[in-house]
Formats: sequence, C-alpha cells, structure tokens
Amino acid sequence: MALNAGAEPVLEIENLVKRYRNGTLANDGISLALRPGETYGLLGPNGAGKTTLVRQVLGVLRPTSGSITLDGRDLISDPGFARQSIGFLPQGQFDLQSLRVAELIEYAARLRGASRADAARRRDDLVAMLDLGEFRNTSMHSASGGVRRLAGFAAAIATPCRLLVLDEPTNDIDPIRRQVVWNTIAELGRQGATVLLVTHNLAEAERFIDRLAIMDGGRIVREGTPASLRTLVTERLRLEMTLTGAVTPHPALLAENADEGIYLFEQRDLMAISGWLNAAREAGLLADFRIGPPSLDDIYTAAVARPRELEAAS
Amino acid sequence: MKAIRQYYDLVAMQMNSMRGDNVFIAILQVALSLGLVVGMGYLIPNISKPTAMFLVTGTATQAFVTTGLVMLPQMLSQAKADGRLEYFLTLPISREGYLLSQITMVAITSFPAVFFTVIFGAWHYDLSFSVNPGFALVMVLCVLSLAGVGVAMAMYIREPTVVNAVTQLIIFYVLFFSPVLLPAAQLPPALQFTSKLAPPTYAADGVRATLTDLPGTNLGKDLVLMSGFAAGSIALSAFAIRRRG
Repeated sequence: MALNAGAEPVLEIENLVKRYRNGTLANDGISLALRPGETYGLLGPNGAGKTTLVRQVLGVLRPTSGSITLDGRDLISDPGFARQSIGFLPQGQFDLQSLRVAELIEYAARLRGASRADAARRRDDLVAMLDLGEFRNTSMHSASGGVRRLAGFAAAIATPCRLLVLDEPTNDIDPIRRQVVWNTIAELGRQGATVLLVTHNLAEAERFIDRLAIMDGGRIVREGTPASLRTLVTERLRLEMTLTGAVTPHPALLAENADEGIYLFEQRDLMAISGWLNAAREAGLLADFRIGPPSLDDIYTAAVARPRELEAAS
Repeated sequence: MKAIRQYYDLVAMQMNSMRGDNVFIAILQVALSLGLVVGMGYLIPNISKPTAMFLVTGTATQAFVTTGLVMLPQMLSQAKADGRLEYFLTLPISREGYLLSQITMVAITSFPAVFFTVIFGAWHYDLSFSVNPGFALVMVLCVLSLAGVGVAMAMYIREPTVVNAVTQLIIFYVLFFSPVLLPAAQLPPALQFTSKLAPPTYAADGVRATLTDLPGTNLGKDLVLMSGFAAGSIALSAFAIRRRG
C-alpha cells in the first residue's frame, strides 16, 4: 500500500448529501478524500448509506448536493469519466447465465476499451493469478458463489483503472482464494491503484486498509487509520476464549460475540479477569483463551453499536 | 468505430450469456408459431386462401410480439431488479448501445420463427407469398417498434411482477382482441379504437402489405407509425436509462 499522504487526492468527496424522492436522507454531509495508492475502507451497518455513496461515485445516482471529483474532474457533471476511470465489483451475485468465467473477464476488458489481443492476454493472466483455471469454462449460472465473486473481481480489475471500488470482494470465497484476493488488492495498491473497499469483514480487511471511515445513519461517525481508531477503545482489552462447559461470565466482561466467546473488558479489570480465567481453567471449563488489543470489530462496535445502545437506553 | 465495436461486443456477450436459452427460445418460438398456424386452421373449416394468408402473416407478427413485448421486458426488468443493468451502467459503454444490443437479441430470436411460419404456412395452406421490396424495412421496424415499447415498459415499470402481469395481458390482448390474428372489421368498436394505439396492429399490417395482396393494408401509414413508436419508445428508454435517480 503505497500511501502518499502529501499528494493530491484521487477521489475527493465534499459535503455530499443524497435525499431520495421519498424523503429518505441516505447521505448527510459526507466528506472524504482518497490519496493515490490508498486502500480506504468504508464500514457500517446495513442502511448506513455506503451503497448510496458508492452509486454516486460511480455516476449512476445524482447527489442532492455536494461535490465528487476524481483527479480534479467533477464526476457529477461528467459521470462518463467515472465509468472510464473506475473499476467496480458490485455486492450482488447477479446472474450472467451461460456466460463463462473466462468470457466475463475478456468481455469486461473489451468493453473497457482493451483490444482483442490485450483482453485475451489479461483474461489468461487473471485466470492464472486468481487460480480460476479449472473454472474458466464454467458458466456463471452453474459456478459457485465464490467463483462468481472471483470472476467479478477479475472483471473489475480486467483493465488498469484510476480507482477501484470493491463491495464485499471476499464474500462466499474460500479462505485460500480469499487470501489471494487480499494479496491482489494489496499488490494493486503497491502499483498505485486507489481502492475504495466496502466490507463487513473487518478482521480480514484490517491488514489491508490504510484508512477507514465508519458510517452510520448516512454520516461518517469515525475516520482514521485502524491504529488511530483503536484509541476509541484503548482502555479496553479483547478476550477470546474457548469454553468446554457452562460458565457465567465475569461481571466485568462485555459480550462482543458471546456465542464465539469474544468479550471486551476494561484494562483496570485485567487482574480480576485473569483470576476468573484461572479458576475456570482449573475447574476444567476453559480450553483456551487469548487476551489482546481490540480489533476493528471492537472499534466498529464502539463507534456504532454502543452509541445506539446508549441512545436506546436513554 | 468504437461504438460499433462496443455494440458488437455487447451483442456477443448477450448471445453467449444466453447460449443455451437462445436456441431453446428460437425453437419454442418456431413451434408456437407453427402450432398457431395449424391450430387456428382447425377453428375455421374450409379456410379460404385470404383468411389463411391473414392467419399466417398474423402469426409471423406474433413472434415479434412474444419476444419484443413479452420476453424482452421481462428479462430487462429482472436485470434491473438483480443489479445486472446497473452493473452495465457502470461500464464505459453507450447506454443506447446497450439497449440496442437487447433489441438485437429480439431480432435474432424471432426471425427464425417469422421465416419458418411463412414457409410452413405457404406449404400447409398452399399459399403463394410475393415479397415486396419494403419487407426488410418492415421487419426492422417490427423489431424496433415492438422491442422499443418492450424496453420502455421495463424502464418505467418498477416491479418485475407488474411487468410480468402487463406482458401476460399484452399477449392475451394480441391473441384474442387485436387485428393481428383477427380482422379489424370483426372487432367491436372499442377494440377497433384501442387497436389504433397498439404497435402490433401496424406491425401485422406492414407484414401483410409486404407479403400479400390482401385488401385494406396501408404500408405508408404502417411505416410512419412503426417509425414513430420505435423512435418515441427508444427515446423514452434512453431518457430513463440516462436518468440518475
């Protein structure tokens, strides 16, 4: 990820507002700037306004007010420039029926202006890079969700682009190929591509994101590097444990995902929690545990879920 | 040049994405048309040659209606609902070129049925058709006017289920209540009036005017009105597909 902090932003969004005709305020004063080579994460719960934001960047939706520029060019008055300059992987698993995996990649390259020879070369490169060889003649209709996703990812990067917008790029993909996708995104970043990444997969994305924005209710509620956002929860630690029996959690533990044994607790309670863990282990109720710094999941929870809980409680 | 290449690629992509279905649709269209030609004949004992000609040319037009006004809007509406259309709109392609590629698919899947219906009808009822030089133009305008209206329906009707219902209504109307398969004079005045607003009326009349010597056709009027329906519906669709919410 070749982050160029001093450079002019590739994508710059200022005070973007989108109100739909039915009155729904989907984006409420969004401002952000993506620098060259940066991988920028967009996180948020369903309905936070991420997709609306992406659709405006792609030029398929007109903002109510505000500005969007790509390399200094106004995308609102010139949406054709967005289509020429942005590679896009949509979230949905749309059905391209009998189109084969290799054909999708080749047509995507051709429709983006590559010559027949270049499109064929790029198709072969991407099939090899994403380990799609055994699926190259599989129709999209009969391909698994993961293979369709990989084919869509390959189609998005079939030609060089100024900005890559990826909406949940690793959904449905098996762990090995998922790693290949993340490595490819990282490599594209090193080559100078700027990536806008919409994802819920925080644990995976954390390693590849330079900066992120957390959206809720159409606004950006937090923005920064993963490290800087951790300061939101610096006073907390994350406990992941595997229980072998029924144990009542220590009162100081805040359930993050109790089903998977993930809790947060205040640093000042570390001794008490350690004692409780030792007691549980000696009683044969605890197989394993790990205490560490909070993850992006925790930051996300602190930025979105906890304020909502507090709001509901008040 | 770039636009032509894009159009070619879009048609090829569509053809490949429907490679199995296209053949099935074309065969089904041929079978339906031949079935109509034979089946409707059973309703009319001792069918006269002019009536048979009317039936065969109406059935040939019906093939365009089935693909252009029924299947195409259903497919496009589904593409709109599942995000496929929006994906294409994010590509650096001409939006009108995309719509034209969809309309081209209608031509590719309906021409075999038109061709086989006329050939089979001529053989089955011992008819002789004479092809007027305007026939090719009528074929093109049949596709553009009917598929154009089909595309506009898909663009302006929000829900795929509503599109499906409307297309069922259209096929029902065209089969039983329009001058495509029934002579206009046999329809009640209200249906004679509505038929004047329906593009299949002029498509059927144009096919009759360029293949038969049946009386009462008006090729000039057909060409003008089909061109109007084509231009109007495609312009409306282009406006809709360019609109950005």
